[in-house]
Amino acid sequence: MRSLERGVSWELNDGRFGTDEQVDGGGWVDWTRDDGHRGSGVDIRMELLTYLPPPTISHFHTDGTSTHYLSHKVEIDSFSGYRIYPSRGRLFVRGDSKIFRFSTSKSESLFLQRKNPRKIAWTQVYRRMHKKGITEEVAKKRSRKTVKHQRGIVGADLAAIAERRNQTAQARLTLRTEALSKAKAEKKAKEAKKEKTKPATRAPAAAPRISKQQMKGGKGGR
Amino acid sequence: MQVIDNSGALLIECVNVLKQKVNNGWGSVGDEIVCVVKKARPVNAATSASAVKVRRGDVRRAVIVRTKKVVRRPDGRFIRFDDNAAVLLNNKREMLGTRIGGVVSADLRMKGWGKIVSLAPKVV
Repeated sequence: MRSLERGVSWELNDGRFGTDEQVDGGGWVDWTRDDGHRGSGVDIRMELLTYLPPPTISHFHTDGTSTHYLSHKVEIDSFSGYRIYPSRGRLFVRGDSKIFRFSTSKSESLFLQRKNPRKIAWTQVYRRMHKKGITEEVAKKRSRKTVKHQRGIVGADLAAIAERRNQTAQARLTLRTEALSKAKAEKKAKEAKKEKTKPATRAPAAAPRISKQQMKGGKGGR
Repeated sequence: MQVIDNSGALLIECVNVLKQKVNNGWGSVGDEIVCVVKKARPVNAATSASAVKVRRGDVRRAVIVRTKKVVRRPDGRFIRFDDNAAVLLNNKREMLGTRIGGVVSADLRMKGWGKIVSLAPKVV
């Protein structure tokens, strides 16, 4: 495998330091790899086969040295939406300098055939469009409820409104009759006062007029 | 292949690939080639920004900057462009043009063409 060919080096826990060529695969040893990965076993090479070290990319400089980087970034396929892990897939730069990444030759071929990924059922674009495999919490829109608040107005604060609303019919009735009787009493008092002030001679012809006036006055007074 | 600098040539045809010792059949990104200028921009005798203007039929050197054929990166990835392109050089590996228009492959840096990479507007 690629990793072993490059001569991965690791430190054995008993102090020995070596590459895969130097260590024999016979005995039982514990080992720690460069990146801290620890293990133990009989056949070291078999162990390493299962734990692939992370792939490195080397940048070669003109002065002969080279630095190795880990190509961490996992790209996404521009056609299917799959993840492209480092060292997989192809990168295509179109004439207009737009970059397309393909994870497989399948997606590359379909792209070059100018297929629309929205119509190809296995692509992420299609799935998102047709809402496949998305759970309810994501798909459903939360219904917006407008909460009504009880507010008081100038002239009738909350307490007054509540009072008015919660008045029973009986209470209302009694209040009304009280008010009525009160008004009547007031009116009568006013009339009596007016009659007293006006002289009696005027009585017959002026009576209806006065009474009307009184009424008007009474009404205005009330 | 296309020429993407402002040296005046538009289209060049590769005649020979210069690689040490070997007479290789093909050249890749970062390889020097000998080429013939097939198409060039009409040379204005009166107004010329740079003294050197390439003419049709000139035999020049160039370095390949883009290939349609995939190029493998050390991380295992393959890069492919939509066309083949090159930048003209003189015999001393210096650029003839002063500007580069278009994308350029980052493999150039690895082969030692840092100047071209730094001039390019976009490097992939």
